[in-house]
Amino acid sequence: MKNFQANLKRLEATDTQVLGVSMDSPFANKAFADKIGVTFPLLSDWGGDVTHKYGIYSEEYKAPRRVNFLIGKDGKILHEQLDDAAIDPTKIVDACERPKMKQ
Amino acid sequence: MKKLLATLIVAGTLLSPIANAAPKEAAVMPKVGDMAPDFKLQADNGKEISLSEYRGKKQVVLAFYIFAFTGG
Repeated sequence: MKNFQANLKRLEATDTQVLGVSMDSPFANKAFADKIGVTFPLLSDWGGDVTHKYGIYSEEYKAPRRVNFLIGKDGKILHEQLDDAAIDPTKIVDACERPKMKQ
Repeated sequence: MKKLLATLIVAGTLLSPIANAAPKEAAVMPKVGDMAPDFKLQADNGKEISLSEYRGKKQVVLAFYIFAFTGG
């Protein structure tokens, strides 16, 4: 989440809202946000319904996989980053800053 | 022979709904170009946020992370 915080100004400049999601409780997420200085919302998927809906529940972690989805204003998915590739969000930031073909 | 065939048909009919239902249990990850499934979740400040509230207004990055207090 630190990597998104580091890129937050660039993302906000392109009309992009960042939302972190995990299966932690809202209290754990609040403590986490305070500790690492995250200013965007961290959402609590307590019970994992949304994680399952997105098909990214990991039996190994008993938690979501690390995945970033860039979602357009029309609600369609524009870009995805999975697992280790999702640690560095540069590709998503670049995709946001690239001039839009059509939207 | 006829009896065997009949048994196989009955077994096939009985089993096919199970075979069809199996992939639905675990949702498949949506692909680029698919609609992102909507949701409403509680944020760390206690407010509820839904994906659909950004429709037509902002792009959204949904960043799923494994656990709080882990890197990345």
